[in-house]
Amino acid sequence: MMSLVWKLLRQHISIAQLLGFFFANLLGMFIVLLGLQFYNDVKPLFSQEDGFLKPEYLIVSKRISGMSVLSAGDKFGFNDEDVQDITSQPFCKSVGVFTASQYRVVCSMGVNGIARFGTDMFFESVPDRFVDTDLSNWKFDPEEGVIPIVLPRTYLAIYNFGFAQSQSLPKISEGVVGMIDMVVLLRGNGQEQRLKGKVIGFSTRLNTILVPESFIKWSNAKFAPEADLTPNRLIVEVKNPADDAIVKYINKHNLELEDDKLDAGKATYFLRVVTILVMCIGMLISILSFYILMLSIYLLVQKNTEKLRNLLLIGYSPVRVSLPYQILTVGMNGMVLVLSFILLYVVRGYYMDRLWVMFPQMQDGSLMPALCLGCGLFFVVSIVNIVAIHNKVMRIWNRKD
Amino acid sequence: MERIELLHTLPQVFQGREPQSQIWLQDVTFQKGQTYLVEANSGTGKSSLCSYIIGYRKDYLGTIRFDGKDIRKNRVSEWTSLRERNLSLLFQELRLFPELTAMENVQIKNGLTGHKNRQEIETWFERLGIADKMSAKVDRMSYGQQQRVAMIRALVQPFDFLLVDEPISHLDDENSAIMGEIMMEEVRKQEAGVIVTSIGKHMSLSYDKTFCL
Repeated sequence: MMSLVWKLLRQHISIAQLLGFFFANLLGMFIVLLGLQFYNDVKPLFSQEDGFLKPEYLIVSKRISGMSVLSAGDKFGFNDEDVQDITSQPFCKSVGVFTASQYRVVCSMGVNGIARFGTDMFFESVPDRFVDTDLSNWKFDPEEGVIPIVLPRTYLAIYNFGFAQSQSLPKISEGVVGMIDMVVLLRGNGQEQRLKGKVIGFSTRLNTILVPESFIKWSNAKFAPEADLTPNRLIVEVKNPADDAIVKYINKHNLELEDDKLDAGKATYFLRVVTILVMCIGMLISILSFYILMLSIYLLVQKNTEKLRNLLLIGYSPVRVSLPYQILTVGMNGMVLVLSFILLYVVRGYYMDRLWVMFPQMQDGSLMPALCLGCGLFFVVSIVNIVAIHNKVMRIWNRKD
Repeated sequence: MERIELLHTLPQVFQGREPQSQIWLQDVTFQKGQTYLVEANSGTGKSSLCSYIIGYRKDYLGTIRFDGKDIRKNRVSEWTSLRERNLSLLFQELRLFPELTAMENVQIKNGLTGHKNRQEIETWFERLGIADKMSAKVDRMSYGQQQRVAMIRALVQPFDFLLVDEPISHLDDENSAIMGEIMMEEVRKQEAGVIVTSIGKHMSLSYDKTFCL
């Protein structure tokens, strides 16, 4: 019997219109899903850059010019007023200060106990909340005497390509930083203490030797209790690293951003903007195609008004006469969904192969977000279709059409 | 459903007029099991009456009640169920589907309840002299033949009341007699009430009551 109803209601179906909808919707859906998937796949490449600092963190210091070198040293520091001023800027989320060690540090390093090289050095710390790493490793306990350390990645290069080569020492990779033996001698305030250092990672963005805040507090109190702790550098969390206002402020106050650390943040930001743009275009195409479908169905219902009315008058319920059109639209939405997944899978395979060639360290992400988004769109659009068709039939029932 | 009551009912378009009618602005009751003839001149609201009772139009004043319940308050699902199982209407304008064959037009209705089997339906086609037209599209049939198909469609459902709006306007006496016969057989079988409307020529049945609209 449903086949008889379908035989009636399929009259006036325009294949051209439905095909138009089908391909437009397929294109829109595919672009939306691809945008999201590509963003998810590529994002780690940008954010992997530095595991210790988030891209929204900027490191700010005072600009050193020839003139300032000649004047007093404390001019390089930030006083409370400076910090307050930066904190109050609209682009700023929060500010932390770098605290430097105020005593003498002598450090010797080696690999597996073989030949060491020693040097004078210093430590710095930032508040723990700015460190983007597992905080359980980021602690100092005077009882244990082991200092977790993050080194600039350049140090690794200096060691591998400068020192290790000339001294016939083994090169080390980031994966085996644990092999680095580090003995740290702290001296000051008439005391001396030998501690073990443990390199837990390398940072591209930090141009300092970073240790936990708790260690700096403890050691400064012990070895340099009277030292002046005016910070030379600030770490600033900003809302959007690509904000113009930041650059303007920095220039106006004669400050300096440490090298181009903004790049990763900027790249991620632009990636996000481009992705959103692409997804918006996809969404727009989808919405337009959805419009085509709705217009097409409305036209169909309009042309078949008399048939629908007669069916209703001989005892068919609005639900029953709406059903064929609802199945038609939901079926098409479903086909679009499945096809765009297949397309996405194929295209993703293609670009992932290329990306792997360029970035072998890239991990294989998941298709889940795109799947969820696709299914979500399918459900929303289908529900809107179902309701709209039912309402249209109810208008016939109520003799409004 | 046992009775249909019209309480002071009047089509809105007649408002302000005082029609000389035995139905409009009167209190009328149609009982299940009775046969009624509503005679009318054209333009007196005969088809409107049918549309009100079937729930298609609501542009009337006064009240229409089924078993005491005001039908204005019926929900969509109640109307659907009434049209499926309690009320059958042979529309004056037939309302057949020209894209379907005569048999399909009947089956699309019969399929809702499965009230008649195919053989019973075929027998009716034969008795009405249109057996050869069963597989023909209805838009290829004469109006008189279409009227017969519409009658069969009106009969393939359970009903308490059967409304037939000018059922024989395009039939000869012989065919209208057969149609009356078939109709009354089914009506008796279902112990239903019948309301026949007509302008002039009407089915010769033994009516329990005749109204002049």
